[in-house]
Amino acid sequence: MRLPTLSGLILSAACLAAAEDGAQIYNTLCIACHGPDGKGANGLPPLVGSEWPKGQPERAIKIVINGLTGPVEVAGKAYNIEMPPQGAVLNDEKIAAALTYVRKTFVRGESAVTVDQVKAVRAAVADRTKPWTADELLKAHPFPPAKTALKNLVGSVYKGEWTVMPDFATLKPAQIEDENAGIVSPNQSGLKKNYAMVWEGQFHAPVDGKYTFTFDCDDFGALYLGGKKIAEIKGIGPIGSRAKQATVELKQGDNAFRLEYVQAAGEQVIVLGWKGPKDRDVKWLSDTKSGKAAGPKWPSIAIQPHDGYTAVYRNFIQGTTPRGIGFGFPNGMNLAFSADNLAVELMWSGRFMDGGHHWTDRGQGFEPPAGEGVIKLSGTSGILSSVEATDLIGKYRGYELDRQGNPTFKVVAGGDTLTDAWLPGEHNLSRTLTLQGDKPLVVLLERNLEAVAKEDGKVLEIGGRLLLTPSLPQALKVQGTAVYLTLNPGESITLGYSFR
Amino acid sequence: MKKFLSGFLGAVLTVSVSAAPSVKGPFDPVLQDKYYERVQIPTPAGEVCEVVSIALLPDKKVAIGTRRGDVWVAEGAYENDLSKIKWTKFATGLHEPLGMFWKDGSIYATHRPELTRMTDRHGVGHADSYESICSDWGINGDYHEFAWGSEPDREGNVWVVLCLSGSFYANSDWRGWCVRVTPEGKMIPTCPGIRSPGGIGANEKGDMFYTDNQGVWNGASSIKWLRPGSFQGNPTGNKFYKLAKDFPAPPEPQSGSRILKERLKFPDFVPPAVILPHGTVGNSPSGIACDMSKGKWGPWANQMFLGEQTASQVQRVSLEFVNGLYQGACFHFLEGFEAGLVPVRMDQTDGTLFVGGTNRGWGSRGHYPFTFERVRWRGKVPFEMHDISARPDGFELTFTHPVDAKTAGNVASYDMDAFTYIYQSAYGSPEVDQAKPIVKSATVAEDGLHVRLVVEGLIRGHIHHIAAVGVRDRAGESLWHNEGWYTLNEIPSK
Repeated sequence: MRLPTLSGLILSAACLAAAEDGAQIYNTLCIACHGPDGKGANGLPPLVGSEWPKGQPERAIKIVINGLTGPVEVAGKAYNIEMPPQGAVLNDEKIAAALTYVRKTFVRGESAVTVDQVKAVRAAVADRTKPWTADELLKAHPFPPAKTALKNLVGSVYKGEWTVMPDFATLKPAQIEDENAGIVSPNQSGLKKNYAMVWEGQFHAPVDGKYTFTFDCDDFGALYLGGKKIAEIKGIGPIGSRAKQATVELKQGDNAFRLEYVQAAGEQVIVLGWKGPKDRDVKWLSDTKSGKAAGPKWPSIAIQPHDGYTAVYRNFIQGTTPRGIGFGFPNGMNLAFSADNLAVELMWSGRFMDGGHHWTDRGQGFEPPAGEGVIKLSGTSGILSSVEATDLIGKYRGYELDRQGNPTFKVVAGGDTLTDAWLPGEHNLSRTLTLQGDKPLVVLLERNLEAVAKEDGKVLEIGGRLLLTPSLPQALKVQGTAVYLTLNPGESITLGYSFR
Repeated sequence: MKKFLSGFLGAVLTVSVSAAPSVKGPFDPVLQDKYYERVQIPTPAGEVCEVVSIALLPDKKVAIGTRRGDVWVAEGAYENDLSKIKWTKFATGLHEPLGMFWKDGSIYATHRPELTRMTDRHGVGHADSYESICSDWGINGDYHEFAWGSEPDREGNVWVVLCLSGSFYANSDWRGWCVRVTPEGKMIPTCPGIRSPGGIGANEKGDMFYTDNQGVWNGASSIKWLRPGSFQGNPTGNKFYKLAKDFPAPPEPQSGSRILKERLKFPDFVPPAVILPHGTVGNSPSGIACDMSKGKWGPWANQMFLGEQTASQVQRVSLEFVNGLYQGACFHFLEGFEAGLVPVRMDQTDGTLFVGGTNRGWGSRGHYPFTFERVRWRGKVPFEMHDISARPDGFELTFTHPVDAKTAGNVASYDMDAFTYIYQSAYGSPEVDQAKPIVKSATVAEDGLHVRLVVEGLIRGHIHHIAAVGVRDRAGESLWHNEGWYTLNEIPSK
């Protein structure tokens, strides 16, 4: 290899300053996540097929300068990402070059991004230090409405109260509007209740063949294609259980479209979509889309006890503190211990936990228990020096497992050591609290729910669902909605927990 | 006017100074395999083993910690026939164990909530005791509040570097700090100034280092020396000094400055030992292993080997101690790993390097979502710049093969450029203050292993990029990797 001379280097640097190499910047900084072909890498969002880099470049420039955080939908898929800001790394020339490369290579048909455009956006966002959220950006720079298959759509509004479909030929519309976006929405009426709307226009079928329409509404309505009624929802009611699907044969070209809709009171919703002969995904003709993930969605990864062995899940469990430790017992009972508050804070039955949320993403956020009827027992200090005290005493010291994986938690407070052992029975959990040391301790059993003594005080019913059976009833103290257990050094008390 | 003028001068400077050409060619797996054998180790069938920590156990057993919170122990990970590897699940239910080691019959894991000691007390074949040794740092549910733990130091302390909340903020106690945990579980606040670590490990002297990722206050990623009491550069978590007894208020540096300028104001500010130029060498550095294998890993005694998550590589770092600070050079070394590397662990007894990787949530090169691999030196020494050492008037390059005196003695065989980054609260920085030091002379030592470069225009605080493209060894071979980046914190006086 011949070494370039110094003057040669200066010359090439001068040229470089004039025209930054967008491909080189992309291949250094962007490629790991967006992929060499712009199709995304390792589950991170693509540029190909994405709306985000398209159109006026301000949206894309803002993302590059400040980064993007949180949930975002790209090319029909939900992501939860953390795109690092590049504004402090790349100057205006480099950002313009990189985005021009992206728009020319992966988006096509989009204009180059100029240095002046980057400069203007940079000045406008000079005070911003945080990455953008997708919502913020879409509010400021919405995607252009996509053309739908509905052409020449006209909406007519009628005022009145109906429980069955009226004969619209006899009614006079209160308002008629063109709906050029080709989208139907109850909001176009400008009313909240007691009205009807009729939309008419043409549905453009791209090819000959079978078309499947999905239709649902609140309250009721009827859908006509080619002059024929193909689906109807009758009577006052919500969306969900009454949704209809209808398949019709359509010729390529324009087909007469008519939708009748009546809103009585309460929620007003229309869900209308279609799939052509060659389509995999539903295309929406309404502003409300069903079947669409609300926010990020994860595949289900069930975490369950297996072969009689108790399961454990240590992560952010919703309803307890960040140092939550969940145990799922083979008898279908579950608990979450807070190593911050030193208390069993949650109990539930059925499925234990789902790992999909924390195990297919970066692990953002808290995941609720997977089962039913979660009971939140407490959310404050679980080990106290007296019933009147509120300060947390003691430190979490871990747990031991028996041969079936059942835990005994250990807490140390001054010279005291408290062990808290949990064992599953056929339909219950048996909990044994043992104190060794020099002074009594108070264990908070719950403080959120009403506790009612049953069977001559042998059983406490908590929140109407959980039954607590102490081996030594007099050790328990019910005060307001709180239940305390006082333990003396050398003492061991067993409590039975079962769901009603 | 002043502002306009400085901007104008900056523009002139950009045009008149050029970087040395990028000389790294595409990855050549065949060439790498001549020197280092890289093997993917099969992980337990059907299990998702996103390896984020590795511990070496007695009897050639190796433990891996996964992001899902399991610990698996392998028997046979050193064998030639890896099809016979046997895996045993030792523990489960950890919350992202990013640091792990074996000691006195137990496996210790530093994970998000605490340092845990896991022991098989009753000989059941897996851990039945999970003791919480220390949990005195804050977590609030933010996924970025990672805790990276070291192996124990000579006093038995575990060093834990605590990532900022969301990698930007200090929303929970001790975020942005390094703390030490004594064997008794006491937490000692040790260094403020941390941003987003990717790994932690000691050198041969027992001094502790960690890698910190490009972002706020980090113009580029780097390997930093955790001198106890020192400030590491990111002031976000400074406020927690008030929670400690007798910890002095950490420096509040000026944003938009340079590291050199700010650290000269604050003697406790220890600058990065070696900066890994962003995009070129480092995108997201991770685990650290020091070669103390006495030659079993190659001729790299006491050098540091760093994982790189985005590029799925291992970089090499040579360090020296000048005027009370570590500094040195980074070099490209191994690549082609199958997922973004996180832990890097060396068995010093036989020079086996174990690495693990994952691409979940942070993209990386490679063919797999997760990987566990082993690398061994094949015994053939590649022709490399062994290390770069600073001199009052230049550098001394040490090579691994005796060099050809004609090419190595010719100044035209070398090219240099120098630059630094803005030290600022914004995310990252462009390369700035570019300069063009000139190699005035190149003198080859008699043994052919050392070349003394006299350089005009050394700049204290700058990264000096030295490309030795024209240098050949006596067989006419060119360098495997022909460039290095030296962070010149201090210019030695002799």
